[in-house]
Amino acid sequence: MSNPFAGSSSKPGFGKIILSVLPPDKPVLETVSYQYPLKLIAPSPIIVSPRHSRSSGSTLEDKEAGDHSSPDNQQRSYLVHTVYLLTYGGGLVAGDAINLTTTLARSTRLILLTQGSTKIFKSPDPSVISKQFMNATLLPGSALCYLPDPVQPFGKSAFEQTQVYGLVDWRGQNSGGEPSLCVLDWVNQGRSALGEKWDFWRYGSKNEVYLLPNASEERQSEARKKRLLLRDALLLHPSATLPSLFSERMDNLSIFGTLILCGPVFTALGDHFLAEFEALPRIGGRNWDSDAVSAPRTTPLTPEEQAEIRKLKRQKQEKVDGLLWTAARVRNFVLVKFGAKETEGAKRWLSDMIKEEGSVEREFGERATLCLR
Amino acid sequence: MNPLEPDQQALKTEIADLEQRLQNARQRLNPPHAANGSTPPIPNPPLPVPDPTAVSTLHTLLLLADSALPLGSFAFSSGLESFLAHHPATSVNGSSKPQFQSQSQPQSSLLSTFLPLSLSTLASTSLPYVLAAYREPDRLLELDNDFDASTPCTVARRASTTQGRALLAVWERSFRGHYSGEHITDSTTATASPFPTSPEGQREENDNDNTALKALKTYQSHLHLHPTSLSPSPFTPTPCTHYAPLYGLLCHLLRLPAHTTAYLFLFSHARTVVSAAVRASVLGPYQAQAVLAGAELRERIEGLVWEWEGRGTEEAGQTVPVVDLWVGRHEKLYSRIFNS
Repeated sequence: MSNPFAGSSSKPGFGKIILSVLPPDKPVLETVSYQYPLKLIAPSPIIVSPRHSRSSGSTLEDKEAGDHSSPDNQQRSYLVHTVYLLTYGGGLVAGDAINLTTTLARSTRLILLTQGSTKIFKSPDPSVISKQFMNATLLPGSALCYLPDPVQPFGKSAFEQTQVYGLVDWRGQNSGGEPSLCVLDWVNQGRSALGEKWDFWRYGSKNEVYLLPNASEERQSEARKKRLLLRDALLLHPSATLPSLFSERMDNLSIFGTLILCGPVFTALGDHFLAEFEALPRIGGRNWDSDAVSAPRTTPLTPEEQAEIRKLKRQKQEKVDGLLWTAARVRNFVLVKFGAKETEGAKRWLSDMIKEEGSVEREFGERATLCLR
Repeated sequence: MNPLEPDQQALKTEIADLEQRLQNARQRLNPPHAANGSTPPIPNPPLPVPDPTAVSTLHTLLLLADSALPLGSFAFSSGLESFLAHHPATSVNGSSKPQFQSQSQPQSSLLSTFLPLSLSTLASTSLPYVLAAYREPDRLLELDNDFDASTPCTVARRASTTQGRALLAVWERSFRGHYSGEHITDSTTATASPFPTSPEGQREENDNDNTALKALKTYQSHLHLHPTSLSPSPFTPTPCTHYAPLYGLLCHLLRLPAHTTAYLFLFSHARTVVSAAVRASVLGPYQAQAVLAGAELRERIEGLVWEWEGRGTEEAGQTVPVVDLWVGRHEKLYSRIFNS
């Protein structure tokens, strides 16, 4: 095992996170190294016990006090590590390049967070592009929750980012099962207060998920090759064949985002999105029951009724916020795309959806949804 | 003065001119060093008069440009219907009025907004796959997988796979016998081919065709083994019959030049969208023809082909993100006349 304090490769912007397991089953952040302008901060891990507490976890000290000896092997509490991805100045200046590699060992859980939106500062020239590359490898049974704040590209900025997630082949006994992934990628129109409306030189963001061959079980017979499972690329590049203003491609949206979900940890959340999408009122249909006033009731509402009320309330709010969204099952993923007239509206909606379903906070603690506040 | 004289003079000039043009044309047809000169792209070597390749290319082009192809494409609007529903002609009030559309403009302006966005989306998401399959037919299965991985929603996926399956069926039932048979058997005796070529280029081309045919055969046998399903296993590459890669491969088999393939792919899309617009009562049939005939569309398609033909599939992506929302939300429309 390498020394966590060892000087890492000295390339600027490089970072490395290795989450491994100390025998018998204690997840530890084996490596957290970084170089300017990237900065990684790992606060102490939290304990999550999904069955007992619906919401947040407790601290490490509590765990050692005795929660450890839970009889139920499946549901017992576990450690969730967190790493904040920060950059000096809260963003990237022209020409900055970030290159972050993350590895999650079997059955570990990691939260990646940012602190405030990632600002992309003005570039002197369209050809000077700030870049961010992130590569995360998830071993079987591990789970990554990456709900960052939106990227905020300022006017005349140029930015390209790529996120590559590798799911290591989880077939075979005792592998730990399919890795779970919950990643959000969203971008807004810039500094709205200054009147910026998608006024950057260029912006590109690509998310790819690959199935990686299992290195320890090299089977020569099969052509062992990584296979593309999902690719989602947003290219807001200048083009001669489109209107010169990016805002004309955005149909009055000021924020656009993609949420990618897969794996057993996020199955319930994915199903929630799909069910809610299915339950959306039809576009262009007459809304017959909009103003139905229900008689005052004395009996308390059932949970179903409460959910129904929340749903109607959210759908009303979606209209107000000009929120458009879709959810679809793409292979073993659930892919959610959304856009809204204001960043706040999108945040409100996403936070509502994720918190109402509740499994993210249940499985990772409240910290995982910090950016949705 | 004889009034005929000037006329005769004019006629003489005209004859001289015509003779000059005929000579020029002959020269262009038979350049002095055709064989050693700059080599044109492989599928179209220069040939003596009459040029059967040109004729058969034209014939193939007309076949593929038929608005009936791919069979059933009339059922898809590629998001137009959803776009219209999201931009109703009678807007509620100023604040919620989309910027794309203003009351004073006629309905047809909606199409002139939508069509460029839709074409750009198609060029950036699909054209690299069309051309990759065209250039490297043996990557068909991989391209089909990658395209499937890049298709963001059920509606778009359904539209693509349905049309791909239809295209495959047209090839299988209608084209294959006429375009492929002779090439697989023996490369030296392929005289009955509809594409007579110069002997030196023939072997290479046949090898090329064999690769493409083999790729298609492998693909079809996979298809037979794993009938397409909505959520294929992440471990086994399952053919999904996506339209774009199959289109590229088919054009390769039919020996259309790459550039023509790309142009035709985008043009067909424009035609399908415009025809959907007619049926959605956004514009009249004459206006529709005017849109298709317009220089604007021609330049746009040329520009898009130029912009995207050099880019690989890993560079493909969505240039107009809101199109994904419109297409995805098509399912939520109250009334629908199209499948996408």
